[in-house]
Amino acid sequence: MSSEWVDGLARSVIQHAARSAPASLSERLEEEWLADFEERSGPLARLRFGVGCCWATRVIAHEYLEPKVAAAGSTTGSKVMTAYAQQDFSFLSRRTTAFVLMIGLHAVIIYAFATGLTHKVFVDMAPPIITKVLDMPKVIDRPPELSQQPTFTQLKMTVDPTWPKIDEDHSRLQDLTAEVVEIPPPQVPTVPTKTVNRMLGGPGKAFPNTDDYYPPAEIRMGRKGVATVQVCTDDKGRLTAAPTLAQTSGSAGLDEGALKLAKAGSGHYRATTEDGRPVSSCYPFRIKFDFKN
Amino acid sequence: MGKQDRDVRMSLQTLRTLESFLENPTDELSGADVQKRSGLASGTLYPILLRLESAGWFVSRWEAVDPASVGRPRRRLYRLTPSGLARASEVFASFGRGVLT
Repeated sequence: MSSEWVDGLARSVIQHAARSAPASLSERLEEEWLADFEERSGPLARLRFGVGCCWATRVIAHEYLEPKVAAAGSTTGSKVMTAYAQQDFSFLSRRTTAFVLMIGLHAVIIYAFATGLTHKVFVDMAPPIITKVLDMPKVIDRPPELSQQPTFTQLKMTVDPTWPKIDEDHSRLQDLTAEVVEIPPPQVPTVPTKTVNRMLGGPGKAFPNTDDYYPPAEIRMGRKGVATVQVCTDDKGRLTAAPTLAQTSGSAGLDEGALKLAKAGSGHYRATTEDGRPVSSCYPFRIKFDFKN
Repeated sequence: MGKQDRDVRMSLQTLRTLESFLENPTDELSGADVQKRSGLASGTLYPILLRLESAGWFVSRWEAVDPASVGRPRRRLYRLTPSGLARASEVFASFGRGVLT
């Protein structure tokens, strides 16, 4: 942008602005502004000056009351506004006020979008959703109305005498006679009873100590109880299956400790004996967890 | 105080304009001079000069030069009237000059 072009544009703007001013001030403002324009240096400053003159014209035209102004010319060409009075001076100029309002409006919009205020406003402004349950009209499926009541006539059944007769042979019924045959009850072989002296097994002498399997967490919690464990052992006192819990102690920790103890005791069980002979068997036994003192 | 003297409600821009003249109350300043001293934009300054002039605070006259000989239009020179000087002094005494610094 060449400075000459800007100067020409700014000068035209100033002249246009001055001529838009009240007629009594137009000539004065044009000469005054063009003189001050010459003292501005730089195309941008001159352009700003021209635009400012446009704004000044608007303000002056708004404030200037034509009938009250008497522009008196002297021999030097000076004109003085004699009766013009500004009654409404505001602390901020109109341009500043407009600028502040514009910035404020942008700030409000940005704030509203940033904080989700617009969403809240829309939600608040939206009418509440009202749900109503409407009963469907009851439709009774009735048969169509008859225009005329039906008439019933009683039918008379008559047997055609020409129909063939069925010959019923009752003579064979005499041959069908029921005969009840008594079946003797099955004979159950008698087994000679034999008394076996059976002694259930249990923890042997070298069975692990209960205290070693008392869960520390249960000790800290002060829990005690009795768990019943079912074990199956062979004739050597060894476990043949994993021990199971027959009755809980009321504490999962104590139950778990009891099962570990029962498993650790494999080989140390006293086998069940029948007539003094060790045999494989399953039996329950109780494990008590308690404090000695 | 003269017939044209009016009470003018002070804005910050008006105070800046008056302050430019109070540096040396006898000076005659053009709009460009006031603009340099006050830093106000032309759109704000010239309406204020006209208001203060119409209220009797300022008087103005054309610069006594021949535009053809100086090669530019005549400048409009503003000067504080005695009553304008007194009123401006009162205003600044009541506000305190610190408000503009």
